[in-house]
Amino acid sequence: MFGSGQGVALSCCETEGGGKVAWRVFQDSVMLIAVSGGGRHGAGSSKEEEVHLQRLLENVWNCMVLVLGQDELTNMRNVERLKRDLRSCFSIIDQLLEDRQEGILGNLTHCTDSLIPPNTTVIQEAVDSFAKAADSEFGCLIVHGRIAAATEKWWRLAPQEVVLLSALVRTLSGSGSASCDYPVFLPQGSPTVAHRLLRFHLLPGADVCVLCGPTPSLHRAETELVGRFWSPLVETLRDCLAVGERCLPGSVSLRPDVLALLLINRETRRSVSCVRTSTNHPPCAPLLPSKARCWELLKLFYIFSIKHYFMQEETLCVTPEERAHKTNTEDFVHGFSHQPIHCYLVTEECKSYGLQTPQHQLFLLIPLSVPTFALRTVATQTLSDIVAATGLSPLM
Amino acid sequence: MAQVLAPGSIVVADWHRCNESKQYFSKILHRKRRRHFGLLEFPVMPPHVPVDTIHYKVFISGKSGVGKTALAARLAGLNIPNVHYETTGIETTVVYWPVKLRESGRVLFFRLQLWDCGENALRRFDHLLPSCKEQVDAVLFLFSFTDRTSFDDLSNQIAKWTDTTEDRVVKLVVGTKFDLFMHCDVAERDVKVFQKTWSLPVLHIGGEVSDGFGDVAPLLNCLTEQLWHQDCVTAGSANYHLVQETV
Ligand SMILES: Nc1nc2c(ncn2[C@@H]2O[C@H](COP(=O)(O)OP(=O)(O)O)[C@@H](O)[C@H]2O)c(=O)[nH]1
Ligand SMILES: [Mg+2]
Repeated sequence: MFGSGQGVALSCCETEGGGKVAWRVFQDSVMLIAVSGGGRHGAGSSKEEEVHLQRLLENVWNCMVLVLGQDELTNMRNVERLKRDLRSCFSIIDQLLEDRQEGILGNLTHCTDSLIPPNTTVIQEAVDSFAKAADSEFGCLIVHGRIAAATEKWWRLAPQEVVLLSALVRTLSGSGSASCDYPVFLPQGSPTVAHRLLRFHLLPGADVCVLCGPTPSLHRAETELVGRFWSPLVETLRDCLAVGERCLPGSVSLRPDVLALLLINRETRRSVSCVRTSTNHPPCAPLLPSKARCWELLKLFYIFSIKHYFMQEETLCVTPEERAHKTNTEDFVHGFSHQPIHCYLVTEECKSYGLQTPQHQLFLLIPLSVPTFALRTVATQTLSDIVAATGLSPLM
Repeated sequence: MAQVLAPGSIVVADWHRCNESKQYFSKILHRKRRRHFGLLEFPVMPPHVPVDTIHYKVFISGKSGVGKTALAARLAGLNIPNVHYETTGIETTVVYWPVKLRESGRVLFFRLQLWDCGENALRRFDHLLPSCKEQVDAVLFLFSFTDRTSFDDLSNQIAKWTDTTEDRVVKLVVGTKFDLFMHCDVAERDVKVFQKTWSLPVLHIGGEVSDGFGDVAPLLNCLTEQLWHQDCVTAGSANYHLVQETV
């Protein structure tokens, strides 16, 4: 605060033990401060931690706007009341802090975690017509916490809003409730006027939602529309659920030497990710990292890559002035006249490979046993396999 | 003077303890825990045991922190939140409950959809309360044994639901946090007086969630009994023998 009075921007500081404090002021009115203990992420360096914290601040602010609306946060009349109202955001904020669900990377990448269903067209049509019947242009189907299909308009929401709404639906769905009618403000699209998020728990693991205006009522939508549109599709939905955490339908066969992958579509801002559960791994081979560790390594490698080599797509919730000193990519990348398109990293635990094309970014974890010179082939082939198999899918 | 149905006068009390009920209760269990149903699912009985399912909408009313969300979770056999998060909109929870009618021996599945809406949200957004009231069949008025004001406020709460249009709505009072007797703020005597004045069933809930149905059966049986009775009265077919009791 002293610094900004003097026109100096200080955004982060660090203790010797690796603890970190980062902060940011939103809308000239609310300052959020994030503190991390340090040393928690094993291999993560302090730079990576900083990216994490900055992301967290942004996500938390968006959560607050989502639930309370921007007006209430910026024109606060009564601090005590605001403090009480803020309690409404705690469940999603806690979800962000705990970052518990494996395989959900959207909070970090600001790309929508997606799942590619085996029967894309049927599902897409059902979502479109269900939304329409609910007087809405915004509808989506979430399977295992990831978007399996959404209306055209849903994808036109700001990427961070899509990520945030998915997080909200995961929280609501996790509580086991059957349906809900939630007032939500969209941090970008509608920060001062609330919409209604209707969510219906179709099957365990599958939720459909629509964003709508005053009609239809929750009661009417549920009694008149849910059964009509979704009962005939129970088996189709079960097939989607069977895709599971792999996120890719059975028609996509992955090379056996891919431990984990994150594929981002840079245009649509959607991603799929998965970690292999090791199958018939030769017993004499060196131990592979556990599933949980793979998810962690995948995140760290993603941060490493966007920090040092690849550009991260602009995040829309940042104003241009803020962006000037807020991008996560280090200056030397901007200094280059060219863009790196491949990068790799070999650690004690595994090898990692990243590649970027105009349309995609792919991040892979590969066992140490694979020779380093072969990584590039593994990566390019994996990308073309997925693109070939899902080429017709509007998702990737 | 209205009358309170004596518990067990229409539905068989403690039916979940009978052997013959096992085949029905097993349909709402999964690996010894309560089964969770999506909206597209429901308990399915074998074809030779046809059972009707009747749907009801139940609104849970009470001030913030009184235990509405916890009650809905408990009745559905879901994890009870141990932290208090404001519910920031309407959340509904579906509970299936098999019941045996005393008179006819007929078995029914009640599908109770519990509507829970945070108090702050109700205040901030005008459309939520009408939505909760739309075609509602019953209201549970909650108070907490650890919070005297929530008990004192009950009459105000109930008064809001006694217009002529809402006459047919079944009303029940539920005292939560009965397990926290060390902090009990509402004496049993006061509850008795209240029950007498209002002629409404008053139940209590709280404590460890039991493995079986013991902790929820009294409440669910009472609620289903009242709902069924109300339906019969409405249908004008209340000509079966009721063991009624004037309180
Ligand atoms: N010991 C005990 N705690 C309860 C009971 N019911 C609710 N609580 C706790 O009281 C707090 C508020 O409950 P909640 O259901 O979220 O309140 P709501 O605002 O009415 O939805 C939570 O921390 C619950 O764990 C109960 O019967 N016994
Ligand atoms: Mg609640």
